[in-house]
Amino acid sequence: MKWFGKMTTITLAATLLLGSYSGSATAAASKLSGKIVINGSSALLPLSLQAASEFKKLHPKVRISASAAGSVTGPQSVRKGIADIGACDWDASTDVPGFKKFDGQVANKVAVIPFAAIVNKSTGVTELSTKELQDIFSGKVTNWKEVGGKDADIVVVNRAFGSGTRVNFQLKALKGTDFISKGDNYKEVKSSGDMKTAVETTPNAIGYIDLVYVTDKMNAVKIDNVAPTTDNVINGKYKVWSYGYYMTKGQPTGATKAFIEYIQSAKFQNGSLKKLKFIPITAMKGE
Amino acid sequence: MSKTIPTLSAPQRPSRSSSVRRLRLRLEHRSFRLLCASSAVLVCGVLLAMLFFMFRTGVLTFRDVPVSEFFLSTAWEPENEKYGALVFILGTFAVTGLTLLIAVPISLLAALFLAELAPQRLSRVVRPILDLLVGIPSVVYGYMGLTLLIPALRAVTGSNLGDGVLAASLVLAVMVLPTITRISDDALRAVPRKYVQGSFALGATRFQTVTGVILPAAGRGIVQAVILGMARAIGETMAVVMVIGNTPQLADSLLKPTSVLTSNIVMQLPNVPFDSTWNNALYMMGFLLLAISLLMIGVVRMLQKKGENAA
Amino acid sequence: MSQAANQARRTALRRSRRADKAFTAVVWSVGLGCVLFTLALLGTILAEGLPGLSWSFVLGLPSEIEEGGGIGPALFNSLYILVLSLLISIPLGLASGIYLAEFAPDNRAIGLIRICVEGLASVPSLIFGLFGIALFVEGMGIGLTIIGGAVTLALLNLPLLTRVTEEAMRSVPPEYKQGSLALGATHTQTIFKVCLPAALSSIMTGISLTAGRAFGESAVIVLVSGVSTSGLMWDFDPMSPGATLAVHLWYVQSEAIVPDAADIASHAAAVLLIVVLLLNLLLRIPIWWNARRA
Repeated sequence: MKWFGKMTTITLAATLLLGSYSGSATAAASKLSGKIVINGSSALLPLSLQAASEFKKLHPKVRISASAAGSVTGPQSVRKGIADIGACDWDASTDVPGFKKFDGQVANKVAVIPFAAIVNKSTGVTELSTKELQDIFSGKVTNWKEVGGKDADIVVVNRAFGSGTRVNFQLKALKGTDFISKGDNYKEVKSSGDMKTAVETTPNAIGYIDLVYVTDKMNAVKIDNVAPTTDNVINGKYKVWSYGYYMTKGQPTGATKAFIEYIQSAKFQNGSLKKLKFIPITAMKGE
Repeated sequence: MSKTIPTLSAPQRPSRSSSVRRLRLRLEHRSFRLLCASSAVLVCGVLLAMLFFMFRTGVLTFRDVPVSEFFLSTAWEPENEKYGALVFILGTFAVTGLTLLIAVPISLLAALFLAELAPQRLSRVVRPILDLLVGIPSVVYGYMGLTLLIPALRAVTGSNLGDGVLAASLVLAVMVLPTITRISDDALRAVPRKYVQGSFALGATRFQTVTGVILPAAGRGIVQAVILGMARAIGETMAVVMVIGNTPQLADSLLKPTSVLTSNIVMQLPNVPFDSTWNNALYMMGFLLLAISLLMIGVVRMLQKKGENAA
Repeated sequence: MSQAANQARRTALRRSRRADKAFTAVVWSVGLGCVLFTLALLGTILAEGLPGLSWSFVLGLPSEIEEGGGIGPALFNSLYILVLSLLISIPLGLASGIYLAEFAPDNRAIGLIRICVEGLASVPSLIFGLFGIALFVEGMGIGLTIIGGAVTLALLNLPLLTRVTEEAMRSVPPEYKQGSLALGATHTQTIFKVCLPAALSSIMTGISLTAGRAFGESAVIVLVSGVSTSGLMWDFDPMSPGATLAVHLWYVQSEAIVPDAADIASHAAAVLLIVVLLLNLLLRIPIWWNARRA
């Protein structure tokens, strides 16, 4: 095991050297080097990972590590200085319900994320009004027959407080109405994947999710008769969407700047980003 | 498998016992002993560091929340500045208790089966398979709980959701089963064969031998196994969070969505501001988790000691 | 002896025989039940994951967009982190276990240490993760790395290894030790040449349990090593981000957008199982070797 220890020391020393260069990347693009740590929103993680692997092919000397815990972790890690980019589903340089703004941080738009209200197939429901959504998620309506479905209890599946999806859904789909937080037919889940599984497999369940994750094993309901589609988001009819942001401490510099520019470039926006079923930020001309 | 008797490497040069050699051996022994002791201290150091780490942040909770509210109130509504953690504390006790109630008898019987009754050829195949179960990531257990167990519970009980204490305990029981079984199995096999043979020779039946001789002799190891299983049940997070429902309400039925300390921490910690009372309260809950498991271990140890004294 | 007493004795004997039969039946059914349940569980995972499993998946690079992404770097990271963490935890765990079993005086302080070790075993992995962040990411500022994850994992595994070693050393029959000491061996020699080989089987059980657990652990790695890999195979740099197979599985299950996410998850679970099986076999080799030598 001696070779092993030796190698570890060598690589350790090498990376320490490399690491100390971060931030001072001013050389030509291919010589760009440095370390970028991304943390925050898990909804933006697939995007970050894809962009990172493409970016690393262009700039092999840049070291990118990405992780995700929750939207607010992004700007918080940036403030603490343990991440260079904080992915967040809302503009964390402004106040949103439950979270104060982060001073001194810059919000860089990277994508448009649409959200959909989803129900289990067994409900037979395909359309709900904003009022009905508000009543269901606040616990005023507890049976599907009150909103045009069959006679069955409504099972509400919610994301945990602080989830970016939850913040946006509450803000845009429920117009700020509070969620219920208790009851026999209420549960909270930790991630988009859990939400998907829960609504797919629980009879009479309702929840909400990023449009990307919607499958044909669930119904994504029309809200006020507008279907949640990419086209309806772009033409302004469907309102339940938000920008995804990369928060940085001040204006981004060095490798971080180059990375964000790469994500915002037409090549990435109209290529991989679209393939990941996000909407390019340039598509939202009306905003 | 019977214990293999190791070869004794006889002292190679017994006659050349110069004082230098003796000194070297003593030095060797001293330093080895010191090395071992410092490792043990290090292990404890890690725990103490961890306790300190959780406590340092956790104790700040009580600047804003009365101690009595934290421990005795069931109202956990951080949005409205209510930080009662009783629901989670009771939930942790309930889930851990039920898990052990399910897992311990089954694991013990399974360990007896492997160690005493089953043909050794079979045991030798089964053991590595059981070890495999430990390596399945908890997310897989959680996912199977979500997609297989909960629909089954829903069908059997007719409840709308199926999430809750029962689902969590069943998943946890499966998760701790291999740990308890394998460590008990090792303890049972370590009981000297002459005890067992003696018991049989006295005309005892297998049942009498097991309850009267083998179990008491292996008691220490079995308690160890149960403690390790319990420890895993208290601390398990990723699987529990998928099947417990994550709702801060007191579970008055086994099928009502509720929450435990671990699941609440992992659900909320990533989403709260760093310096908030909420964040501190979650750290306090982490500290509590540690305190509870230390307490439970203490109790088990005391009971064990009492049992030994009575016997 | 009176006839009545004889009768009573015979009844008692019959009763104890019946109890014995019932007991045997119960143990057999529970034992077989457990075996069948285990096989069903493993069978389910393998049945879903094995069909369509290929080398290009096992060694390939992951993909976020197109189907057919692999798990190569994650699998490599899993093994790499496991080896690094075992390199740290095995010597420490064995040494502290030996101390508790062989050297420690039987007093209150040692009792406390023992409770400490057990307490550490119950610390949720999440808290180890937070601790790891505080230590490596915030304290040392090295970001999300393989080495951070490995050390944190080693800490997570220490208590179980310590306890198992202690138990194993204690269950070595005292005659072995006495015999060795009587032959003039020192305590240290006795520990290395007699006790450890005799306890090897149990210690290996402990190591394979911890290895399995480390392999399946995700909470710690997500926090300390991140969810991304360096995107290369055979990247031995311990400062690289170190998503492991279990983390990749978690990621694919909870956030990934690729259309074949469900397939990747079931394939990954099957691969994980197979690797843990191989690890178990590998760890058993010393036992066989030892048994043959004896």
